[in-house]
Amino acid sequence: MSREHRTSEDGYVQWRGMRGIATVPGYVIMQPTTLCNLDCAYCYLPHRDANRKMPVAVAQAVARTVNAWAADARRFSVVWHAGEPLAAGRDHLSALMAPFHGVEHHVQTNATLIDDAWCEFFATRDVHVGVSIDGDAARTALRVDRGGRPAYQKIRKGIDALRRHGIPFAALCVVSAPQPGLGTELYAFFRELGCHALGVNVEEQEGVNVRSNTFDDAAVRGFWAELTAAWRADPVIELREIEWALWYAANALDGTADDLLPARIDPIPTIGMDGSVVLLSPELAGFRDGHYGDFASGNVLSTPLDVLLDRVADRPPGWIAEYLRGVEACRDTCAYFGFCGGAHAANRYFERGRFDTTETDHCRNSKIRLIEGVLDYARAH
Amino acid sequence: MPERTDSLTERMSAAAGLASLVGEARATWLSRAERGLADRADEDLPDGVDGASRTPRWRAFEDAFPTFYQFTNRPRG
Repeated sequence: MSREHRTSEDGYVQWRGMRGIATVPGYVIMQPTTLCNLDCAYCYLPHRDANRKMPVAVAQAVARTVNAWAADARRFSVVWHAGEPLAAGRDHLSALMAPFHGVEHHVQTNATLIDDAWCEFFATRDVHVGVSIDGDAARTALRVDRGGRPAYQKIRKGIDALRRHGIPFAALCVVSAPQPGLGTELYAFFRELGCHALGVNVEEQEGVNVRSNTFDDAAVRGFWAELTAAWRADPVIELREIEWALWYAANALDGTADDLLPARIDPIPTIGMDGSVVLLSPELAGFRDGHYGDFASGNVLSTPLDVLLDRVADRPPGWIAEYLRGVEACRDTCAYFGFCGGAHAANRYFERGRFDTTETDHCRNSKIRLIEGVLDYARAH
Repeated sequence: MPERTDSLTERMSAAAGLASLVGEARATWLSRAERGLADRADEDLPDGVDGASRTPRWRAFEDAFPTFYQFTNRPRG
């Protein structure tokens, strides 16, 4: 009997991974500024019209812990995100990066500010670049500037600069309306765009974005099936979701799927511009709830990050303890847990108002229907 | 959805065409490895963390999508 066939008394699969919070993360997310120069319709970020920059003292405090972690790891990533990181400016971003040693720096950017000088900045620091673009001008129409004008041409101009400088980049694409034909169209677009990797996010209802993410089951499955076909025909782009599903399938067929989830949950520390630390879901940063408070587990200006994570792992507070109960509920009730690891904290909260719930629309769109779409395609071909 | 109680693995094993699709994916991952684009994710893992072998596979982590959390995260402690 393979490991994934071990069952609980009620017949559900019991997976080994994702039990409790790890004390050392795989990476940290840093918010260099709250500001974004765009005002995309589906953005989850609060305060993105305010330019509140992270003081260098916050980066120094984070680096004191992260540098030690990085010294013990083969790789450790610092991800500059959660606001438009380039809006912080080169001088300030450089000052924020300076305290870190032995890490890889990443930026997730809307690309509109990228020019030759930014490309030189990326190249000299070996920064990994991810750009956000949703397809051609029509598909990217929800990405607009603060005057409501389409950002597409500025995004393409930034990407042209990356290509001109030979800087590899990944792309993140938000899909707001999964529909027949879209998978083929998007794959062809990103093939031409020149990204080495592509991640596809079906729009999520979270943060200040209250747009519905309830989509037709067949449309979403069909979308993922179509992407599977497009990738199979021309597997040049590293297509995140499809390849992860196939990697899971490969392990499932080999009887090794239970080895894929990490033993413990990555705390994913997101460091806000003021040094506050929100764990598990970056999307919760900057929000306050009458019951849960501000979701912050502390502040690096008063508590070292490793001490803070030790405390949370030892005695998970309030909403995190509730989330851990939710993960166990997913483990006990969902056949897709081995693939997913449990609904994300932010999706539980923003869709359901609690952390101990189970299946969300995000689960359906981006985990369940993804696997089922790949299986639909496989059965038909 | 009653099928939730079924084993996903069993349905995958029964899915005609999946094995050949996975085989092609493995060939793609091997080709990438031979072109120097090998997945480096395995190298990130402390020994024995997830039992992964150093074989060509989907490139999961830092190279492209460090924030693809929960699918690919690799907490160290």
